[in-house]
Amino acid sequence: MSALEIMDPKMDSGIVCTYYSIDEAIENGAAPIPISLDSTIDVRCTIDIMDHLLACEAAWHKGHSLAQTVFSCIYLLRLDRTAPHALLHSYCRIIRATCKAVVSVVSDARTHEEEDLFTMTYGLPLNGDGDDKCLSILNAVEETISRQLRACKATSSKRRLPEDLEPLQSNPNLEEGFCKALLCRLRFRKHFFHVLSCMKRPQGRGLESARKHIASCLTELESILKSADFLRSCFDESCEGDIDDKTTASGFEPIGFDAMLNSRLSAPTPPRAIKILSWKKAVEYFVKLLHDLDVICSYSLDPRLESLLRFVVQFQKSQPDLVARSHLQLLLVQDGKLYGRDPFFAVINKAAALPEATKNHDIQKNESFLQLGMLVMNLLKILCTNAAWQRRKLGKFLQDWRVIYVQLELAFRNEYGEVSSSSNDENTCMKIFQHILLWVEEQTYWIAFRFLILGFELELYSTGEYCMVYWYLYAVLIKLTEKTHLMMAVSHDTAKRKGKKKKDSPKDLARESRIPPAVLFLQCYICLAEGLTMMLAALRNEIPVFHSPSPFNTEHEKFVQHFELLQRACIPDHVSYPSYKESTTHARFSTLAMYNYFKDAQRIAKEVKSSFSNDPERLAELRKLEQGIFYPI
Amino acid sequence: MLLQQQKETRGRERTMEAKPEEKAEFEEAEIEYVSYGGEHHLPLIMNLVDQELSEPYSIFTYRYFVYLWPQLSFLQAFHKGKCVGTVVCKMGEHRNTFRGYIAMLVVIKPYRGRGIATELVTRSIRMMMESGCEEVTLEAEVTNKGALALYGRLGFIRAKRLFHYYLNGVDAFRLKLLFPPPRQVL
Repeated sequence: MSALEIMDPKMDSGIVCTYYSIDEAIENGAAPIPISLDSTIDVRCTIDIMDHLLACEAAWHKGHSLAQTVFSCIYLLRLDRTAPHALLHSYCRIIRATCKAVVSVVSDARTHEEEDLFTMTYGLPLNGDGDDKCLSILNAVEETISRQLRACKATSSKRRLPEDLEPLQSNPNLEEGFCKALLCRLRFRKHFFHVLSCMKRPQGRGLESARKHIASCLTELESILKSADFLRSCFDESCEGDIDDKTTASGFEPIGFDAMLNSRLSAPTPPRAIKILSWKKAVEYFVKLLHDLDVICSYSLDPRLESLLRFVVQFQKSQPDLVARSHLQLLLVQDGKLYGRDPFFAVINKAAALPEATKNHDIQKNESFLQLGMLVMNLLKILCTNAAWQRRKLGKFLQDWRVIYVQLELAFRNEYGEVSSSSNDENTCMKIFQHILLWVEEQTYWIAFRFLILGFELELYSTGEYCMVYWYLYAVLIKLTEKTHLMMAVSHDTAKRKGKKKKDSPKDLARESRIPPAVLFLQCYICLAEGLTMMLAALRNEIPVFHSPSPFNTEHEKFVQHFELLQRACIPDHVSYPSYKESTTHARFSTLAMYNYFKDAQRIAKEVKSSFSNDPERLAELRKLEQGIFYPI
Repeated sequence: MLLQQQKETRGRERTMEAKPEEKAEFEEAEIEYVSYGGEHHLPLIMNLVDQELSEPYSIFTYRYFVYLWPQLSFLQAFHKGKCVGTVVCKMGEHRNTFRGYIAMLVVIKPYRGRGIATELVTRSIRMMMESGCEEVTLEAEVTNKGALALYGRLGFIRAKRLFHYYLNGVDAFRLKLLFPPPRQVL
C-alpha cells in the first residue's frame, strides 16, 4: 500500500511544482524584499502574509505537517533575508518562536495519538539565533506603528505633528486603517506568545497572567476580524472567488508561499496536497483554542482527584483540539506529581478517605502502591487524549486496574489474612490497604462506565445494539454505586473518628442514615438504564422489524465484540450474554413495572437537585435527567 | 516514522458514497458476478476504482492483491458485458487471528441502490468464511451512511473510531464482523 506511481499527479506531488529549490524560488522573485516598491501595496501584502500564516498555523494545529503549512512560507524558510523589512522580520520571528513553543508542549505531553505529523520538524529551520528576543523586536515595531497611528490621527484633526515621523505607507486616506489592521495582528501574536510562556510556568503559577493575555488575544482577534472590511475595500480591484474560502482577510492570494518546496526535504513519503483552512475558519479556530485554554487556566487545581476527573470529563465535552489538550495534560502531570506539586500517593490517600497523617506512610514504597501511582498518572494522561484514542486506551487499561487490585489484595492477604470490611483493627497499614482496595474497585468501575459512555459519544453503537449497551451500563452502574456508597460510608467513619467524641444527636443519626446525594445521583442513572434496556428489549421482542438478524452472525457475536475488554477484566463478574438474554427475553410493553423505572429516575432527580445547588454541571445533568434524557456523567 | 507512513498510506480503502443520479434500468438477474479472470480484468477494475474513489492506488497495489489472493481479491459485477462494480479483498494472519479484509468496494453511480454492492460483499464474506477466516474487517468514513448501513445489515459492528484517519480530517470507523465459532462436527 506504500507504493506510488511516478508522474501520477494524485500520488506524485513532485510532478506539480514550480521551483526545485528555495534558492531557485527566491532567484525567480517568489518572495521579494521589499514585497512591493509601492509602500501601500507592500503593507497590504505583508498583512496578507500574516493572515495566510495564521491560516497555515491553524491547519497545522488541526493535523497537517509544519512543512506543508507554516513552513510553506519562503520568508520563514530564509528568515535572515527579511531583516531589511522590520515588519515582516519581526512577525516571522515571533511565528517561528511560537511554533517552537507549541511543538515543545505537544512533544512533552507525548499523547501518542494519531497526531504523529504534528511534531515533525526534521529539516525545518525552527531554531533561530536571537528568537528569545522576538518579543522585544516585535514591541519595537509595534511602538513605531502606534506612533504612526497617533501621527495620522493628529494630522486628520489638524493638530501639529508631535514628531517628524515617516508614515507607514504613502496613501494618507488608508494610513489609519492599515495601522490599526497591523497593530491588532502584532498584538495578537505578542499576547499569544505570552499565553504560551505563562502556561509553561511550573505548578500553574502563570495561569492567572495567562488569562489576562487570553482576554487580550480575544480582543485583538475581534479587531482582526473587523479589519477585513477595510482591507477588502481599500483597493479598486476585487478578488475572484468566494471570499469565505480565502486564506487572507483582503481576499488576495499571499505572496511568498510554496508548499512543494519542502516536500523533498522534510516528509519521509511524498506528501499529498492539503487544503489550508480559510482565514475565517482559522480565526474561529484560534477563538476556540483560546476559550479552551482559558478554561484550563481558570481551573482551581483542586487536590481532590474526584473533582479533577469531573473537570477533565467536562472539559472534553467541548472537543478541545490537540494543543489545548496537551496544555491540560502538562498542567496536571508534571515531574511525576499532580500539578507538579502533590505526590500521587498523597492524592490516592485523600481520594480513598484516609487520614491526612497516612499520606507520607512508608507503605507507599511498596511496589504495588508505586504501580498504582503510575496508573493514576496514566489515567490522567489518557483522559486528556482525543475521545477515540481515549476509549481504546481506557478499554485496555481496565486489565491493568484489575491486575493491581489482585496484587494489592494478595499483598494484603499475605500480611493480614482475610479481608474484612468491618474490621475494627487500628493497624494503620491494614486501614490503608482496606481503603485503597475499595477505592481501586470504585475507580475501575468508573473507568468501565466512561468506556461504555464514550461509545455513545463516538457513535460506535448502532440502534440495534442499544439494548445490550444499556443493559451492560446498568450492570456496571450497580457495582459503581455499591462501591461509591461503601467508599462514602468508610469516609464518613473516618471523619466521625476525627470529630468530637460527643454523643450523636438524633439529627446527626438521621443524616447518617440518608443515602448520600452522589449515590442517589448514580441510582437515578441506574433507573434510567434499566428502563431503557427493558423498553428496547420490549420493542425487539414484540415488533419483528426491530430484530433483523444478519446472515453471518448473531447478537451473541456482537455482544462478545463490544464487551470483550470488560469481560476479559471480569467487569463486572458473572455478566455474560446468557445473563443478558435471560434479563431481557420476557420484556413486554404490557409490563407496567417498566414505566416505574422512568418515574423513579425523575423522582430521584427532583429530590437530589437541592444537594447540588453549587454544582452547575450536575444541576444541568439532573435537569436533562428529569426530562428523561440519558446524558453521560 | 512508521506511524506517519501508515497514516499516509493506509486507510485508502474506501467504499463509495451513494448519490442519487440518473439510474440504469435493469433486472437483478441480469447482473453477472465474475471472479478475476486474468490481466484483461485489471484495467476494468482500475478504471472503476480510479473513477469512483478519491484515494489513488498504484498498479503495485492491484498486483499485490491479485498475485496473493487471485480467487478472493477481485469480484466483479457485469451488466451486458460492462463492468459496473467490483470488490477487492484479502485475508491473512493478524495477531493470531485469521482475518479477512475488504479493501475497496465500488459500484458505478447509475447502478447503485439495487443491492449489487451487498451481493459483492456477501459473496466475498462467504468465501472468507469458507476459507477459515475468524473475522472480517474494513475501514469506512464516519460520514459514509450508505456503507455503514450496508455493513451493519451484514453483522458488522463499529469496533473503533479512528480520529482524523483520512487526509481531509474525517474520522473512520473500523468495522468488524466476527463469525460464530464453527459448529462441532459429531
